Amino acid sequence: MALEGTGSSDQVLSIAALDKRYGKTRVLQDLNLSVTRGAIHGLVGLNGSGKTTTLECVLGMQSFNSGELRVMGRHPSRLWQGRGDVVGIFDSPSVHPAMTVRQVLEHARIVCARPVRSPAEVEALLGISRYSNYRIRQLSLGNRRRASIGQALIGQPDFIILDEPFNGLDAGGVDDVLALIQHLNREHGTSFLLSSHQLAYLESICTHLAILHRGRIVLNGSVDALFHNRQARLTIRCGQLDKAYTLLAGTDGIIGITRSGSGDNGSLSMTLSNIDAAAINSTLVLAGVPVSALEMQQPNLTQLFHDVLEAH
Amino acid sequence: MDGFITALKAELFVALRSNSTRLVVLLPAVISALQLVLVSFRSAGDQARDALTGQGFGPGTVDGADAWGALVDAMSTGLTLIGLTLVAYAAWSFASDKDSGALRHLLIRRVSRRALVLAKLATAHIVGALSVALMLAVAIVVANGLWQFGPVVEDGYELIGTAEIHSEIRIGLLLALVPLPAAIALGMLISVSTQNATQAITAALGLTLALDIFKALMGNFSSYLYVTYQSSLLNESYLDDVSRLVRGFSDVLIDPAALQLNQWAPWPQFLLFVVLSLIVVQYRKL
Repeated sequence: MALEGTGSSDQVLSIAALDKRYGKTRVLQDLNLSVTRGAIHGLVGLNGSGKTTTLECVLGMQSFNSGELRVMGRHPSRLWQGRGDVVGIFDSPSVHPAMTVRQVLEHARIVCARPVRSPAEVEALLGISRYSNYRIRQLSLGNRRRASIGQALIGQPDFIILDEPFNGLDAGGVDDVLALIQHLNREHGTSFLLSSHQLAYLESICTHLAILHRGRIVLNGSVDALFHNRQARLTIRCGQLDKAYTLLAGTDGIIGITRSGSGDNGSLSMTLSNIDAAAINSTLVLAGVPVSALEMQQPNLTQLFHDVLEAH
Repeated sequence: MDGFITALKAELFVALRSNSTRLVVLLPAVISALQLVLVSFRSAGDQARDALTGQGFGPGTVDGADAWGALVDAMSTGLTLIGLTLVAYAAWSFASDKDSGALRHLLIRRVSRRALVLAKLATAHIVGALSVALMLAVAIVVANGLWQFGPVVEDGYELIGTAEIHSEIRIGLLLALVPLPAAIALGMLISVSTQNATQAITAALGLTLALDIFKALMGNFSSYLYVTYQSSLLNESYLDDVSRLVRGFSDVLIDPAALQLNQWAPWPQFLLFVVLSLIVVQYRKL
């Protein structure tokens, strides 16, 4: 099957109608996904949805049964011909456990076609300089992961694929990795495909998102587009609940108003469209309704994820 | 060539820092030296006992046989160990990198799967060459410290001269080294075919020992099997004959056809194992 845009310079990854079976089990079915150059593309899904299998197919670690797959214009089995323009960092830190952090980075320098940083610079960048002479097996999972990420940073890859990059990292480590991804993306135009269960982290950093469910991509697009039609929800705590309900139920831009409680001890919940919370507050106050709290719930990835899975 | 040089550099970098490599290089040398020391202790004990009982100095005593015999036996033991450790090393090399995921970086960034297998094979051969060189050097140095070497003489009659002994040992060693590449390639084939390092090492050692045992049951077919020519626990290699020759035994019958087969039979098996490894690695999940 011919793939539109195969090898086009604006796409670092193109997957069309990908099918993968383990025996009789169909793990990936008719999977379509593309990652635009310069994007940070998040891939989310439940356990067993096929995220790691997808990434392993993309990185040429396993074959697929049918479909078209191109990474930087190359078939996955020929990624090595790119001389390091694609890097994969896996769930388990893929490093020699008996070597020290420095040796792992020196080894990466041998492998790297175009090294741009020294091992010492990478250690400093990842905050693992003091572990330089520690063997990998002596380190915590988080620091092993840092060393694993460090292998990618010896060079200047165009496309980095990260499988569960936040596993085992403490809060500071997560912040460092998020900052690093943003830095590489902004300063060097590095594209990313991130697979993670940490939806809040992905939401904070991704430009695009794809939801994988039972081997299929069920939602895919830019973050702006995905959240464009999802309105924020407002909850108001106020007195004179009946009066407030009557007042707001007839106001333009308020959809699906519901109330809980009654009298002076209750709340109203509603979805806003073309009206903001301040205007609603003014309407209530001017009508003599005492407002004690306004709580705005912005649409988020967790909510979107659950909504999409429920629909499928 | 598909990143072979990069892979070889990366493999040598790891091998130089690996305890497993040190073990493969050092262990045969240590064991063969230990064997020489133990044999010299036993020999000294025998001589002391004979001196006390007045035996051992009559006609029929062969001078020099102990020294050469002990040296060849130590070399044979060293080569047996090298054969086993290299099979295990080759089996471990790819499978353990697959276990740790370390080979993924190489494969994604610079090196084809086939080049990686060839680089690992080359590394195992380099490690094997170092191991053989060290073992031989240590055995010769230790043996020279323990015995005086010269022609093998019985009742004043020279059974075999030093030059001929050197020549036979050299031929015996060369013929015993010929099967080692096939043994390494078998280890690599098992390494790329199995699920993990433990499985690979167990299968490689198990299969090697089974072939060693079965070669006696295979009749003439065993002449075409590389293990027949390897120094092993059930040693049928030419080095075993050399061990008897240098002790002055004159009943050693050398079959020139067997020596020819020894030189050539292991190579097709080596190529077969390499080609199969390259095919298997191309299609398996890593």
